[in-house]
Amino acid sequence: MRDLLTLPAVWVLAAVAAVFAALSPQFLTAGNLINVLIQSSAVGIVATGMTFVLLTAGIDLSVGSVMFLGAAVCGVLVGGGWPWWAGAVAMLAVGPACGLLHGLAITRLGLTPFVVTLSSLFVIRGLGLWVSRTRAMNLPDDFRQLATERVLGVPVPVWLFGVVLLASQWVVGRTRFGRHVLAVGHDAAAARKAGLDVGGVLVRVYLICGACAALGGLVALAQLSAVSPTFGRDREFDAIAAAVLGGASLFGGRGNVLPGVLVGAVTIQTVYNGLNLIDADPYSYPVITGGVVFLAVLADSLRNRLRGGRP
Amino acid sequence: MSGRLVLPAVALAAGLALLPGCGKSGEKPVTVGVAFETLQTEYWVASFETLKAELAAKNIKVLEAVADGDSNRQLEQVNTFITRGVDGIILVPKDGTAAMPMIEAANAANVPIVLYNRPPARKEGKAVAVVADNRSITRDTVKYLCELAKKTGKKQKAVLLMGDLADLNAIGRRDGFDDAVKEYPDAVEVVARVPTEWNQEKALAGLTNALQANPDVGLIFTSSDFLFPSVVSALKTRNLYHKAGEPGHVLLGGFDGDATAYQMLKDGYLDADGVQDMQFECMKSVESVLKLKAGEPVPDLIPDPGFVIHQGNLAELAPRMWGSKVKK
Repeated sequence: MRDLLTLPAVWVLAAVAAVFAALSPQFLTAGNLINVLIQSSAVGIVATGMTFVLLTAGIDLSVGSVMFLGAAVCGVLVGGGWPWWAGAVAMLAVGPACGLLHGLAITRLGLTPFVVTLSSLFVIRGLGLWVSRTRAMNLPDDFRQLATERVLGVPVPVWLFGVVLLASQWVVGRTRFGRHVLAVGHDAAAARKAGLDVGGVLVRVYLICGACAALGGLVALAQLSAVSPTFGRDREFDAIAAAVLGGASLFGGRGNVLPGVLVGAVTIQTVYNGLNLIDADPYSYPVITGGVVFLAVLADSLRNRLRGGRP
Repeated sequence: MSGRLVLPAVALAAGLALLPGCGKSGEKPVTVGVAFETLQTEYWVASFETLKAELAAKNIKVLEAVADGDSNRQLEQVNTFITRGVDGIILVPKDGTAAMPMIEAANAANVPIVLYNRPPARKEGKAVAVVADNRSITRDTVKYLCELAKKTGKKQKAVLLMGDLADLNAIGRRDGFDDAVKEYPDAVEVVARVPTEWNQEKALAGLTNALQANPDVGLIFTSSDFLFPSVVSALKTRNLYHKAGEPGHVLLGGFDGDATAYQMLKDGYLDADGVQDMQFECMKSVESVLKLKAGEPVPDLIPDPGFVIHQGNLAELAPRMWGSKVKK
């Protein structure tokens, strides 16, 4: 709870929610709050994987493309007569495979994460377009069950988001691997001198990020029940914004999954949701959304400077 | 030259002479560069293939380039076309502003340039634009929907899914929508304008939120057919997806004429769709670039009047709807 209240994004989220609650009577209804959580799930899951990468002072610019390649493979298989669940499994396999390749390229070839994942952003999207032949593919209604089914009254996407958050928080906060991730992010050279397998940590971190990208993609795909050639485009920016809003540093070594990613993803979606509800001028969306993200990150940076830490 | 090399050299020379465009001695084949900003929608892929087929039918050599959304890369591609001595360029720029330096480069090299489907931001330099009349096609489509709304005898709440605000086509469609609904103040009330940035996930979230605020929405218009999966998903979640004529049917309209829209029309869920006449636009683009090369006059803007397809004229107009020919 203390962590929650010291996170500037929480106060920004509270302020945003207060404004929209005053402007729209629908905003604080249970149905709308569930809506916001469902809509935050896909980006939130991707942002969780991104947080692992950011903790090591890395970055993964390819997550949107990974979402698309997985969706394209799934669409082609399901369109070819495979059952929907087999398509979903294939989609989930694409993510870790891409992540593993990123990790190996970074650790074995000594390339920077920015260069590797920027290149693969194009390569993987190109593969997706190749696989799908740039066709829009509609998936059977069964696929939507993943998005519409409820367990104990809670929609499946929200369950998945919750499980990913809790599991990731446990890994980062309670396991040796989590401590190694933070150590590599603080100072990779020192971690290496201390005998840590830095390369092994990095490979696993990118593998986790790829897996989260595929799962987030699956959640988004289930809601749409269709694969379009633009699926997942620019999602890397939303994921990075959610992670940074949640307190992750682009310089590594600092950040958390809970409450960080949850607050970050929900804040971004709350702004979109509120603007839709009040039927705001469409031109105001990027200005207001960008302004809120900037305010939250500025507040976080100021707080860290006051504490004498890294911005 | 050794005897062993003479025979292959003669064969090679003979082969070259048989290549297309090399048959007439000394005559350089006409070459046109086709530069697309992206191939990431069915419309662009179908346009790219139709343009190439149109050029091939006239025995014109084609150089192809796709910039994957990068305007700087596209400028380099256009400069490369010019360096390679093309006789004309057909260009799909990312947006009207990005087209300006490419028009300038082509003008400086005296190479004719035609903009396909996206107009330049300013009337500077010499370029021909073959563009769907987004505003009028949308206006006609939405007017058709408004007439249907009027027949229900109840003022219908309407939602507009807007495209990218930097895209002149999206703005034209928004303006066409506004033109139409202004004429029906007693039949239609616009309750939400959702900016989608041409992104299906944003369209789904935005429409879901709009339906949350206005559960009794009776009319939805999407500025591009490729957002229909988002519309269908949002409606199904609220159990509002019904065929035309069934109780609870939400009036649906779109723009483009893609394969999903065609299927929805056939299945009875879609009421009307504004169709860009792709064949017309491709034919006019090729015709214009050749006329410019020959020094013949061509107007700066060639509008594609398009057409509105709906349940009443589906059988008649389906063969002209490009989405009806796309293999799924």
